[in-house]
Amino acid sequence: MRETFHRELERLDQDVVRMGALVEAAIENATLALAENDLELARKVMDGDDAIDDLFLDIEKRALAMLAQQQPVAGDLRLIVAILRCVNDLERSGDLAFNIASVVRKDLEIITLKPVSALVYELGHASRRLLSKSLDAWADKDIALAEEMDQLDDEIDDLYARLFKELFALSRETTFEVAMNLVLVGRYFERIADHAVNMAERIRYFVTGNEEHLG
Amino acid sequence: MNENTISLEENITATERGSEGPAPAFGAPSVFTVRGLGVHYGGLPALRDVSLDVQPREITAIIGPSGCGKSTLIRCFNRMNDLIPGAEVSGEVLYHGEDIYAAGVDPVTVRRRIGMVFQRPNPFPKSVYDNVAFGARINGYKGDMDELVERSLRRAALWDEVKSKLRKSALALSGGQQQRLCIARAIAVEPDVILMDEPASALDPIATVRIEDLMQELKQEYSIVIVTHNMQQAARVSDRTAFLYTEVDEAAGQRWGILVEFGDTSDIFTRPRDKRTEDYVSGRFG
Repeated sequence: MRETFHRELERLDQDVVRMGALVEAAIENATLALAENDLELARKVMDGDDAIDDLFLDIEKRALAMLAQQQPVAGDLRLIVAILRCVNDLERSGDLAFNIASVVRKDLEIITLKPVSALVYELGHASRRLLSKSLDAWADKDIALAEEMDQLDDEIDDLYARLFKELFALSRETTFEVAMNLVLVGRYFERIADHAVNMAERIRYFVTGNEEHLG
Repeated sequence: MNENTISLEENITATERGSEGPAPAFGAPSVFTVRGLGVHYGGLPALRDVSLDVQPREITAIIGPSGCGKSTLIRCFNRMNDLIPGAEVSGEVLYHGEDIYAAGVDPVTVRRRIGMVFQRPNPFPKSVYDNVAFGARINGYKGDMDELVERSLRRAALWDEVKSKLRKSALALSGGQQQRLCIARAIAVEPDVILMDEPASALDPIATVRIEDLMQELKQEYSIVIVTHNMQQAARVSDRTAFLYTEVDEAAGQRWGILVEFGDTSDIFTRPRDKRTEDYVSGRFG
């Protein structure tokens, strides 16, 4: 029953995963560009943000049309609401990857301090892993996987706190500009992780109908 | 049959040949081009100045409050208004570019290409089989009648439910089944367009969803125009929506329908341009 509607809803759901894959790649490349001071790769990340934004607008438009035209109820309604929120998180994460890539500069190598660079690199990987896990949970609507996210997010918060400490310890060895940029990058990664956790909340809402906040 | 009738048929054949490729792109030739259409009943206006295009293999919905001329408009598409004494049609209704109201066009030929399904299921008091075969027999169909009946019933998503009772009376079927039988009867004569005037308003919710699903299947092969007072149904099933509204001349004591807005259904239901459309679809009047 209502096959056309359900087929279109399925396509919409899959497009969220497709959008997530673009964002994940952007975060991975932004991390790499930062670590290796690779301007070309950074440019690629920034140029790629348009594709993410286009997909976001497309999904949002189709979801709104479904709400207006198909009178979805129960699980269908929860899924569309979850999709609308989720793509917001993804779009924002894409912007944060853009911000990270924009820090890469020819005349200023940000990651010159060994202990700090390792931490930033780790933060980048950890936040990408969290998003990846969140997308897996989304694809399978796997609530158990979604619930593991909280613990992973704690690790990221710890890394972010350590980055701060290390920077203070090394404050004499670096410039104010580099330190500022590193704090910002750390903050961007930490925000990406928060958006990934939000996505997990959306999954829980879709599966159970309960609005619970993971953190 | 005179010259006009023949050229109408030729035109249709040419269009069908042209549409064997991929789905028609935006800007493909319209099935119907309506320009400045007006209808009077006994000298009183019922519909004024309607202009719109019906695209091939799409579902076009006509919505609007009671008495706004929805049924009057859909009946213009296959000259059903001819059957109402005192009805006068002005303006143009071009079907694949051909004026169906031109002198010499045979309304029966028009109706063979443009089938219709009505609000109340109206099967003939005959068997299921004979209902579907009826039109084809009249048209002198030479092919395998059993095959035609089965194919039409399958297309109407009814075959599995009636295959064991083809010789039973159609009147023994449920309301929803009778309506799908009427759709099977309409498609058995291989029309190009199916007009549906409130096809689900006499049906229960489940039977309604079945008709809506069926419409999605049918639009792969046919162009469909549907009148519905259920605007949620228009929103669910249609590609384009026409919103009609009643204009009133208090002094003259007259009222008639006008076309307020015509556009993509998603636009009509998410960002209508006209305040009256917005008020109607959001339930503020009507």
